[in-house]
Amino acid sequence: MKYLFIDSATANLVVAIVIDGKIVYLYDNNDGNDTSSKLMPIIEKAFNESGISPKDLNKIFAVTGPGSFTGIRVGLAVAKTMAWATGVPVVPISSLEVIASSGKEDNNIALIDARRGYVYAGGYDKDLNVTFKDAHVFLNDSNLSGNFISYDNFDFDTTKPNIDILKVIKKHLNDASVNPHELNPNYLKLTEAEENLKKKNGSKDK
Amino acid sequence: MIILDKYILAIESSCDETSVSIIKNGTVEISTVVLSQMDTHANYGGVVPEIASRMHIENVTLVIENALEKSGLTMDDIDGIAVTYGPGLIGSLLVGLMAAKTLAFVYNKPLIPVHHIAGHIYANNLVKPLTFPLIALVVSGGHTELIYMKEDYSFKRLGGTLDDAVGEAYDKVARVINLPYPGGPLVDKLAHEGEDTYNLPLPLDDDSYDFSFSGLKSAVINLVHNEHQKGNEIIPQNVATSFQNRVVEILTKKTMKALKDYDVSNLIVAGGVAANKGLRERLSKECLEAGVDLTIPEIKYCTDNAAMIGAAGYYAYKLGRTAGLDLNAKANDELK
Repeated sequence: MKYLFIDSATANLVVAIVIDGKIVYLYDNNDGNDTSSKLMPIIEKAFNESGISPKDLNKIFAVTGPGSFTGIRVGLAVAKTMAWATGVPVVPISSLEVIASSGKEDNNIALIDARRGYVYAGGYDKDLNVTFKDAHVFLNDSNLSGNFISYDNFDFDTTKPNIDILKVIKKHLNDASVNPHELNPNYLKLTEAEENLKKKNGSKDK
Repeated sequence: MIILDKYILAIESSCDETSVSIIKNGTVEISTVVLSQMDTHANYGGVVPEIASRMHIENVTLVIENALEKSGLTMDDIDGIAVTYGPGLIGSLLVGLMAAKTLAFVYNKPLIPVHHIAGHIYANNLVKPLTFPLIALVVSGGHTELIYMKEDYSFKRLGGTLDDAVGEAYDKVARVINLPYPGGPLVDKLAHEGEDTYNLPLPLDDDSYDFSFSGLKSAVINLVHNEHQKGNEIIPQNVATSFQNRVVEILTKKTMKALKDYDVSNLIVAGGVAANKGLRERLSKECLEAGVDLTIPEIKYCTDNAAMIGAAGYYAYKLGRTAGLDLNAKANDELK
């Protein structure tokens, strides 16, 4: 079985090709910016080095968020276009679950800084069962506790992720695939304009 | 000699339209799909970039599929993938760009980056083949440019707006006189019902080919504000006429000057504001008098669409102006 894995939701860009349970190509670098330039050449290299082409894939695993809005879209535009073009089934994956995949404890809390005191947080046990559903929360009010894992820096102890892609893929191997047209970002957050409009309409109703 | 037909699949997502088109030989539109987000952005009084990006990613593959289905072709028939790489809203551009790069990679087709303004100019090629040398006046919500072209795909920018694009000024003036977004076309309509009674300045009336519309826009805002303070009713039709007359006057004046200075007798007008009736009438009259051949595409080719990107993309492709998979989007980039 041949799988492609793409995660561009955070500054840590991940592209992997897995063939018969083995990672045959891995790009996993926390080198941040310019994902839009880098991603396709990395994917091209991934296929070249693996000796397969997109149509040979059995499944694409695509991270749909949460994280950087633009980052999510860059990876998903590739995943959904490739899935549409090749007919290869595509499965959505949470960026927080990918981060939590390095956790060995019973409650691993993956965090992504969402600025102004907010985080995207998701809790997973060591087998990637959900302990705290992915959410956009105000950190100080969240009562989150556990083994914090994050690429970002906070004023409390966190461990840096050492992600386990095979574990994530195994967990989602039998997930139903989605229609590529419906493979869309999971931002967990409205745009500011939508929030403001909601507030305005809300105050009008009162 | 057998000349093989070339089919370009083009993607445009630089602002609030997701569009895909298939164009034959740079001149024949095989199929186009345009998904406009205008109704959504109208709720916010203007285009919200993040919402635009979100809608592009939700629709991009659907629009590709629809355009391909409509064309009756398959990806095997396509010779190259053209895409708007800029200028525009970066988040919006990136969705189309990444989709285009993925298609180019999966199907092993050349990737052709197209400048949005080159697209607007080549929209005219879908009406009749461009005749060189020519002057292009590109006027839209995001652009106001005067460009000289000696031959295909050779662009010399003579000048452009130093601040607001002309369409942007229209939309802001529309808001001041309480017209709904996007108000530009409504200002044009009102302008035909009013009289030029307000004393507004002719903006940047100098020897350059540059434009400035923010001063004129501010003059309208101040006018409405001052009249309101004095307790006077403003007459929206007359504001529209006075504003439009100044805009059309300066656009026409500098365009005619460019034609004369460069000794050119072909003018093409492109971009959303090319639909403006006041501008069309005035330019038609002046071009007739000056013996200039004027081409203005029909409205569907004036607003953002992928057909124009496919038309321009064909000439870029012929000149070998293709890109690698590291092609990036650019919010601002000069037309070269």
